[in-house]
Amino acid sequence: MAEGLITTARAVSEAALSTEGVHALGGGTFAEAATYEGSEKFVGVSVTETEVEVHIVAKYPLAKPIPELAKDIEKNVSPESGGRRISVVIEDIEVAEEVADDVDL
Amino acid sequence: MWIFNRLIMVIVFAALFVGGLFAAIYGLNILGYQIADLQQTLGLPAAYEGFQNFITGVENGSLTPTGIAILIGVALLGLILLILELKPRRPRRVRMEKGTYITRAAVNDEVAGATEGTNNVLGSSVKVKAKRRPGAAVDVNADVRRGEDQKVIKNDLRAAVQERLAESGIPLGKIKVKLNESDPRQTKTRVQ
Repeated sequence: MAEGLITTARAVSEAALSTEGVHALGGGTFAEAATYEGSEKFVGVSVTETEVEVHIVAKYPLAKPIPELAKDIEKNVSPESGGRRISVVIEDIEVAEEVADDVDL
Repeated sequence: MWIFNRLIMVIVFAALFVGGLFAAIYGLNILGYQIADLQQTLGLPAAYEGFQNFITGVENGSLTPTGIAILIGVALLGLILLILELKPRRPRRVRMEKGTYITRAAVNDEVAGATEGTNNVLGSSVKVKAKRRPGAAVDVNADVRRGEDQKVIKNDLRAAVQERLAESGIPLGKIKVKLNESDPRQTKTRVQ
């Protein structure tokens, strides 16, 4: 079970990022949101034995209210979560163009 | 409470450091100081005596009104600190629905966007607290010109914040709006 934590985190992140309205994965605000396994780390999704926590940055303007966006994420992520409890954390709402500019810099 | 605990720990560690330093200097007879003089130097005998008299007063049931006030004060302080320590911590993130959270910073940005788009608001500072139940408690401090109708601005601000958060689907628990009359030349939004 433990062996698949990073694999699960990757699958969950792909599912989350494919959701309309999700701009990027977040890295955590107070503590790093990541999955650790051996020497590997995956930032943005925290997977434990019982829970999956997806940290996302939503796209602005919002395509739909945040609770609906969270429901969509949950729906997409659910098949990849291996029956774990899913939590969605909205870390930020960003204008896509602004983020693109930041990345260019 | 976290700040209080930190303050107490700073005091305790500072006392340990100073006490240890004194004990080392006096214990090792450095610069002619002797451990036997330490009590006198720190004024401990007078403090012991005062404390002993107080405890004797408690034992004999012959407390002065000041003593009674001190004991009641200590008991009340202890009770307050106990309650604060036992109170569950405020959540770090704002709960929206079951399993959905939003960071305070994200709510803060949304509220700031709404306040600064409100007419006659020159600048604002926003504080967002997460509540234990779903929703955020929002404190808005806004700068306005002198002589503006504060009641109207307050209502506009409240409505703007409520509307913006409702659009985003962020539940609003409580909103507190405070207006400060400011010089437009010194606020974020300058006027010519």
